[in-house]
Amino acid sequence: MTPTLLGRWQTRILLMETVGLVVTLLFSGGILGSPESAIFLWLLQYIVVFGLGWDYVYIQIQTFRWDQDWPAALQWLAALWEGVFIVLLIEIVGVKLPGTAEDWHLGWFIVHYSFVWIAVFVTSQSLMRLIFPRWRFRGGQWL
Amino acid sequence: MSTIPGQVRLSWQDPVTGEQRSPLLTCPIAFGREFARMPAELNNHRVARIVLNSSQVSRYHTLIEWVQGHIRVTDQNSSNGTWVNGVLQPSCNVSNGDLLKIGPYEITLMFTLDGTGLPTAEASEQSIIQVPEPDSPVPAEPAAAPANVLPPACQAHQVVVQDLYATQLPVEEIDYLAVGAGLGSFIWVDFLRIFGAAPQQIRALGIENRPYARYQRLCLNSQIPPHERLRSNSDSCPDNIWGWPGYALREAWHEFNKGKLNPALQYLWQVFAEPTFAQTYTPRAGNVFASIDREAVRIGWPQIYQFGRVRAIRQTHDGRYAIAYSPGRKQTAFVVARYVHLATGYPVLQFLPDLKAYREQTRDFKSVVNAYEDHNHVYETLERQGGTVVLRGRGIVASRIIQRIHEARHRNSNIAILHLMRSPKPKGNRFRKAQRPVDNHFEFQPFNWPKACWGGTLRDELEQATPEQRTNLLADWGGTTTADRKDWKEIVQQGLDQGWYQITFGEVTRVVPNAQSRPTTYIQEKGPRGEIKLEADFIIDATGLDSKVKASPLLNDLVTHYNLPLNPAGRLAVANDFELLEMRNQNGRMYGAGAITFGGPYAAVDSFLGLQYTALRAVDGLVAARAPNLRRLNGIGSLLQWLKWAQNQAP
Repeated sequence: MTPTLLGRWQTRILLMETVGLVVTLLFSGGILGSPESAIFLWLLQYIVVFGLGWDYVYIQIQTFRWDQDWPAALQWLAALWEGVFIVLLIEIVGVKLPGTAEDWHLGWFIVHYSFVWIAVFVTSQSLMRLIFPRWRFRGGQWL
Repeated sequence: MSTIPGQVRLSWQDPVTGEQRSPLLTCPIAFGREFARMPAELNNHRVARIVLNSSQVSRYHTLIEWVQGHIRVTDQNSSNGTWVNGVLQPSCNVSNGDLLKIGPYEITLMFTLDGTGLPTAEASEQSIIQVPEPDSPVPAEPAAAPANVLPPACQAHQVVVQDLYATQLPVEEIDYLAVGAGLGSFIWVDFLRIFGAAPQQIRALGIENRPYARYQRLCLNSQIPPHERLRSNSDSCPDNIWGWPGYALREAWHEFNKGKLNPALQYLWQVFAEPTFAQTYTPRAGNVFASIDREAVRIGWPQIYQFGRVRAIRQTHDGRYAIAYSPGRKQTAFVVARYVHLATGYPVLQFLPDLKAYREQTRDFKSVVNAYEDHNHVYETLERQGGTVVLRGRGIVASRIIQRIHEARHRNSNIAILHLMRSPKPKGNRFRKAQRPVDNHFEFQPFNWPKACWGGTLRDELEQATPEQRTNLLADWGGTTTADRKDWKEIVQQGLDQGWYQITFGEVTRVVPNAQSRPTTYIQEKGPRGEIKLEADFIIDATGLDSKVKASPLLNDLVTHYNLPLNPAGRLAVANDFELLEMRNQNGRMYGAGAITFGGPYAAVDSFLGLQYTALRAVDGLVAARAPNLRRLNGIGSLLQWLKWAQNQAP
């Protein structure tokens, strides 16, 4: 992947709010995991919103790389960090993010986050290219 | 030729185009990024001003003067400094053979203090040879005007179509015409077909029926047989416009089906972690060609392809283009089309001037060869009787040749390589915060441009830049690189340790036959050692291909006839969607692709993925121009087309 900042943002929002949302609905509807709870929908939005900020950081890191690229391996490391960040925020720092006061459960967050991330990653590596033939040439911009 | 004191022969390789430059100039000589910022006169002497395009070069960077019997180099408070023989120097006297480094430019200085005996080898701009071609019933024409073969009807600025019919020569009218019929044409036609055009609306004119024939021949000549890997990305698939599944996934699947789990997982790991945690995956040449064969049948290429050597291109009075071609010896025919695509590829091979001179003087075409020519006899002879090879150039082709000679050494260990490089390479190119890695004087990069040139931040930046900024960016990102392959690095290290591979630095002054008619290279080393000589059985020039428009009679005629602008690199000037705007003719549109458009809005024009990008932009442009039967491909329509690809059904 050789994303641009706009491409990162557009791809993140699209995939999280489609593929990520479908996976999240399985959790919030109680089909997967813990009793049904709206917390998963809130968490998904935090992943998106914080992610927009992280994308800016990643783009800065990318400029130190000669190829200005972002291998899949780094995508995974970044995803790991973003998950850890939310856990740190809630568990360690104790920030009261709206919507996360009730039903927070670390184990289910990890399962939910992993499912969302893997679904988004697999889609970005396959279906995204088939539906948007210009996407890979525009650094991830699909609009 | 006698010279006067204060005359300096500068010699460097252009980092954008790879061409050799070696002007002979009289001091003072100024270097900088902007012509107007350098002084026109100093102490009543006219200043020779050399513009070096790069953001690493300051507007006025360095001055060379003749001061009291010495040649003196003085940095002009530049941002990145002036380096002499690898040392940062604000001001110093230099000796003959010293190396001046200004940004990405490495310039060798040659002079004698009394002004006599200066090497006179002047690099000719025309130091080229033809790209090897198959035996053809219609030979390539001499570089003379192709108009000679044309009927008078074709001499006009705009041709009247009825006049073509009046010649009684065959005339075909069609919507879409691809000139070249190589990979660039094939990929454009692939997009046209998938976007809705029918095979009978399209014609591709060329001299070989398989679109990859010429590419494959250059691969084979430069020692890449089918089982070896190309320098290309997994998802650069000329057979699949979506790039999915990529070659790594396909190869992994293939291995998995054979029950070989290890290689399958290895390929997947490579595309996952490359280039940071794993060596970059590259596809086998044979697999790529086989996939193109499949796609060619799927889109009806055999029906679309037509043998013919294209002679001239003209506008017609009714908003189309007339293309004159030779379908056989001494035959002429015409195609008239509204939408024309030019992808004629590299017209010629660059050949180092001293080597070309050697061949012209000795008529010895066996000992001194270009890596892109058929030169298997070199390896056969080496395997039989051993010998020494002088290798010139340090790009990907040089790497592959070292690997091939390493293989030959298994049959005969009495083979040595003298790798002749112009200068040491302690550090790689810099671009803002990033720097390219270097090992053993080879500069490494997975592909021929930084990856983001294909579809990332660098593509964006180049497209938005002005023509002058584009040249700067291309110089910063360009230069000769090779792939960071573990096996190659090991071979080089092993060769250095065992002594059969040696690197020599210096500027070649001449190549002449010795008493045994073996080519002997004289090089200028810096310092008191002066001239040294290298004797060898073979010299292989691995320096590259050239795509200057003037080298192609067809393009030269087109450019001259319509007074077309060239870009700063001397190639066809194209818009961001690769249209030749000056050739627009009412509803008619003409596009360019591949090496002939290098130096414009896109860096990697001559790669598989670059050709796909170019074709996508061009066909999107045709959709916007309401070209017949084309629909914009996106969303579900795109997915449905992909399903047809997956099931090997016609688009």
